[in-house]
Amino acid sequence: MLEDKLLIWKFNRGNLNVLRGIYEKYKDDLVTLAAALLNDVSSAEDVVHEVFVSFIESSRKFRLTGTLKGYLATCVANNARNKNKARRTHRGIAFDQASPAKADSNNPEFHAIFGEELSQLSWALGQLPYEQREVLILHTYSGMRFKTIAQQQSVSINTVQGRYRYALDKLRSMLNGEIK
Amino acid sequence: MIKKLQLKASAELDKRVHDDISAALTKSEQTKSVQPQPNIWRTIMKSPITKLATAAIVIIACVIGLSLWRTTSSGIALADVLARVEQVKAFRCKVSFTMNDQIAPDKPYQFEVRSTILLSREYGLKVNAETPDPNGGWMPYAETYISDEKKTCVEIAHTKKKYVREELDYYAETQGDQEEDWSDPGTILKAIIACKYENLGRSTIDGVEVEGFRTTDPNCRSPVSESRWSNPQVDVKLWVDVKTRLPVRFEEFSSSVDERGNTHSQRQVVHDVEWDVPFTAAEFEPPPVPDGYEVLDVPRLNDEETAIQGLKRCIELFGNYLENISDDAGAKGIIFFAFEKSETSTALRLKEEIKGLTGEEKLDRVSDAGEPIFRLIWFYVGLVQDKKEPAYYGKTVTPKDADKVLLRWKVSDSEYRVIFGDLRAETVTPEKLAELEAGLPK
Repeated sequence: MLEDKLLIWKFNRGNLNVLRGIYEKYKDDLVTLAAALLNDVSSAEDVVHEVFVSFIESSRKFRLTGTLKGYLATCVANNARNKNKARRTHRGIAFDQASPAKADSNNPEFHAIFGEELSQLSWALGQLPYEQREVLILHTYSGMRFKTIAQQQSVSINTVQGRYRYALDKLRSMLNGEIK
Repeated sequence: MIKKLQLKASAELDKRVHDDISAALTKSEQTKSVQPQPNIWRTIMKSPITKLATAAIVIIACVIGLSLWRTTSSGIALADVLARVEQVKAFRCKVSFTMNDQIAPDKPYQFEVRSTILLSREYGLKVNAETPDPNGGWMPYAETYISDEKKTCVEIAHTKKKYVREELDYYAETQGDQEEDWSDPGTILKAIIACKYENLGRSTIDGVEVEGFRTTDPNCRSPVSESRWSNPQVDVKLWVDVKTRLPVRFEEFSSSVDERGNTHSQRQVVHDVEWDVPFTAAEFEPPPVPDGYEVLDVPRLNDEETAIQGLKRCIELFGNYLENISDDAGAKGIIFFAFEKSETSTALRLKEEIKGLTGEEKLDRVSDAGEPIFRLIWFYVGLVQDKKEPAYYGKTVTPKDADKVLLRWKVSDSEYRVIFGDLRAETVTPEKLAELEAGLPK
């Protein structure tokens, strides 16, 4: 936390080189988060790239109120949400109702990266409605509080907790079925 | 299981992000080259808190400068004084500082502070300052702790209930070797080297036999003085203990007249100097910040964005742009003067808020509100110092003149940066700039 504060302190004073340190420190977590949200590694990397482009542009305006990791995770989640909305609009149907190729349980990309078990998980996550998936990932993977997620999604904390429960139930159900 | 998910960012993403950072760095370097490189001395002088610390350094610099003065007729070799001072590891002294400013012909302003200073070559600097209490006596004004070892500066402004904690490395990062100014303010040194002086002979101060030196050479002035103003008056006196060959008292009076004809003067007296005093490291440890104190916003590097923010604040506060942004030393007066004449809603609201406050409090509140304008002015002055060919047309260009050049400076031989009346910023060629400026109202 202190290290992050120091990084931000230097960043705010125009030391853009610290961005390299920030990127190196969090890049894998952020790509993983975005990929889990979008079920697409390529789009996930685009999202992380966009987040850092915005971050670069925010030099000297940035004010860290929480943790740097939390801030970046929020940015990734917001960008991923926008990307997901854009996909929906583009396709004219709900993306979550579609069955994207890369969310396939046999997706070789995910197999190669995660191995059998996690690849199944990734597939199952891809089957969840986006809002539920986002709550589940942000809470379990990024450790974000329900209250924070509720603020991000502009819904009540009850709704967020409901989405989380539904997501978990569905995930369990799907994984039990698949793995069996 | 979810927590076990772990992807690795690809080499391609690494390249994209690092390339973007490199591009931003390059751009930043280009911008930085036109930013004022804030001399730490200037930064100190701009701060109402750290300003006080300068007196301690003044005395050292003065003595360093004395090395170039010849041996006096009465026998004190000032080189010897310097050698002795250089051997001193720490000293304590008291400083009385009075500044009389005129922010407008009918607006005299006085600032008075007295402080105790402890300076150690090993540990740094500590200043405890007091200011007159309107109810009588003195009240705490500010505390400053500068650690050479930790490269930190902590300032607690009691009257404002604010504090700041800064790393001195920041200045080193942004100014290269200018950090040396901290302990060896070349500005003063050069001024003293260049000055002529007279010997005042011997007298007694607090029972100690001293020999005095005096100069009225206008070149001999500390950075507290504003060198660009007219009619500079300087009177500097230094008394050295005949026995120990160490300074015991230093007085400086200086005055000058700004571009609007207002007189500014200041007087500082360094007295009760104790050389090689005992002290403990704990004395340089800053105390906890009292509850309820807020962080003081420290001026940062001033760039195009801060300039635009300053211009925006001009519109809010004055309804128009300032006519002149080249006088950084008189900035406070310029802003206050423009504020007094203004009838914008922001100005009227602030005027209402500050009704009943003392003159100094009003000035502080207006200065706080005009902080972005100070940055704009420092940005412009920096451009002048860096010879970036800046030009400002606030006298004739208004916020309604969307396409007229309001402020411009040179970026390279083939490029100028222009801020227009509507506060857009663009890079243009010299030819385009000439065309734009030809259309400006005379």
